[in-house]
Amino acid sequence: MVFYSAIIHLALFFFLLEFHFPAHFKETPVYYVDILDLPVANPQAGTPSGGNPPPPSPPAPPKQREMSLPAKPPARQATAAPPKKPESKESAREFEERIARMEREAGARHQAAALEALKNRGAAKGPVGMPGATGTEAGSDYASYVKSRLEDEFKSTIAFQSKNPEVYVKLAISQYGRIIRQQIIKSSRDKLFEDSVSRAILKAEQNLRPPPSGKQFEITVKFSPQGIGKQ
Amino acid sequence: MKIKLSFLLFFLFSALAFAQQGYIEVTAPGNRALQLAIAPPIALAGNADMKTAGELAELFRFDMTLAGSFTVLEAPGIEGRSGIRPGDFDFASWKSSGADLLLKTGYAISGTTLTLECRLYDVARGSELTAKRYTGDLKDLRRMAHTFSDEIMRAVTGEKGPFSGKIAFVSTITGNKEIYLMDYDGFNALRLTGNRSINLNPDFSPSGREIIYTSYKRGNPDLYRRELFTGAEACISSSRGINIGGAWAPDGNRIAFASSKDGHSQIYLIAKDGKQLARLTKNSALDVSPAWSPDGTHIAFVSDRLGKPQVFVMDADGKNARRLTTSGAYNVGPRWSPKGDLIVYCRQQGNGFQIHAINPDGSGDTQLTSEGSNEHPRWSPDGRFITFSSKRGGREALYVMRADGSGQTRVSRGKGDDSHPVWSR
Repeated sequence: MVFYSAIIHLALFFFLLEFHFPAHFKETPVYYVDILDLPVANPQAGTPSGGNPPPPSPPAPPKQREMSLPAKPPARQATAAPPKKPESKESAREFEERIARMEREAGARHQAAALEALKNRGAAKGPVGMPGATGTEAGSDYASYVKSRLEDEFKSTIAFQSKNPEVYVKLAISQYGRIIRQQIIKSSRDKLFEDSVSRAILKAEQNLRPPPSGKQFEITVKFSPQGIGKQ
Repeated sequence: MKIKLSFLLFFLFSALAFAQQGYIEVTAPGNRALQLAIAPPIALAGNADMKTAGELAELFRFDMTLAGSFTVLEAPGIEGRSGIRPGDFDFASWKSSGADLLLKTGYAISGTTLTLECRLYDVARGSELTAKRYTGDLKDLRRMAHTFSDEIMRAVTGEKGPFSGKIAFVSTITGNKEIYLMDYDGFNALRLTGNRSINLNPDFSPSGREIIYTSYKRGNPDLYRRELFTGAEACISSSRGINIGGAWAPDGNRIAFASSKDGHSQIYLIAKDGKQLARLTKNSALDVSPAWSPDGTHIAFVSDRLGKPQVFVMDADGKNARRLTTSGAYNVGPRWSPKGDLIVYCRQQGNGFQIHAINPDGSGDTQLTSEGSNEHPRWSPDGRFITFSSKRGGREALYVMRADGSGQTRVSRGKGDDSHPVWSR
């Protein structure tokens, strides 16, 4: 009887301990800015051997000492001939090395198969990326580029007097990169806010690249202040 | 029929959701104040008058700083002497100074006649936002300039400012509690009563042309109505006991007030000519300080029916009374915001009072003041500001702050104790 009571009390104790002090792992959030992949107007993604002669390569940067982990000494067994039949009295160390080698070989086979599948997929759809591009310029689509430009200017103009204003604006960008039309689709009813949006659009237009398609580009943009819970 | 309606609503919402999906989202942190450059006022004709120019610049700086939506650029020192009309000056230098808006003013004085011309420009666009020319007596300089400050607020925020409004208040400058009228920033004070007794609780009519107040000039605290422009006055409630806390209904025809004619203080309703309309509260407690909601459907008031004074809200016909404030042991002096979204009141804390704001449903109670003892909060007609009296500087004086409690600024300029402010349209 005492034994059962002790078991029940212990179980209850651990349950309450877990309930009141749950072991949470709280990871500190890490924020970063990707300074390499900022949106550009005309991304030049493509295959390195895109058919056209590649542009002259930029002068090579001064060679820096690469940072890498110290290389492991090659395993003695790696250079050995194909796996032999395990000896009847195989030591534990030999067994581990054999398993590791098999895993490496399986990984290499899997990677080769994945690369082959990628090649086949690209070949089925024809050339990838911009004509003549070499895949050397990071970037994104034109909409992301416009968003990036607007965001840069909106930071310096934002002002509002209502609680959570939101305005939807439809923008038409000409083939020359000029904003030829801006139409409020859904108003915030906050004049101060909508004026600040208008100022941001005006400022963004001054350095806007033309759409890569060479045609008029239309996009709807929702402007709002960055609040708690928003990025 | 219901099924059809459901399908219709479903498709409508689906279409709306689809319509709003195809967009990119642009956000930015913070709420930036607009950079407003105030060019030095110039003489449009005749000789420059440094006093007039200095007064104009200082007035606009005071108004726009209090507004909170602007950061006034201090003396940018950019070609301030050029003209004020479009084409008379170049925007480039103002743009490089970081200004979003530019205020240019010019004046011409001929004898006692003043012409004031004010122009507000959007620097980024190089366009004119608003422009006005005022002509009048030289002594109306401040009124003209405050009126243009209202216009700036309208051009920038879409809603007129309250700067041309007047504040009525009680002051002891003469040694007695008399009713005065002044500009919102404390200039041009004018005494309205001179009966050498006690005068209290002024309140403006919705038109701003009349006030009601309580006066002891005939011994009993009676309620009076006074026309500001003619000075004509009438006693509208002189029942035995108190007749205090008169609050004009938004329709301008009715007045709620507290009277003890039936034994103890209760809330009553009268027409503006004094005709008895209704008794709104009926209990054994003390009910005082009625305050109308802006749509005239509800009245906030103070009652000690639960033991201590607390703020309650009832329908305009006296039904459905409910307690509003649940924190604090002593809450008094409610006043409903012109937009209807907040009620300010005073809570006793320590040896004094502090001003709080609360949502009409009782949520979001927020303390707005903390320095000294602060009482008698009243809203500006646009709901952006609150005027109140404070003893923080020793003597009781009038202050103005933004609705969130920021920018608390003393506006009293007299030597007496100033209290019971109320802001006109």
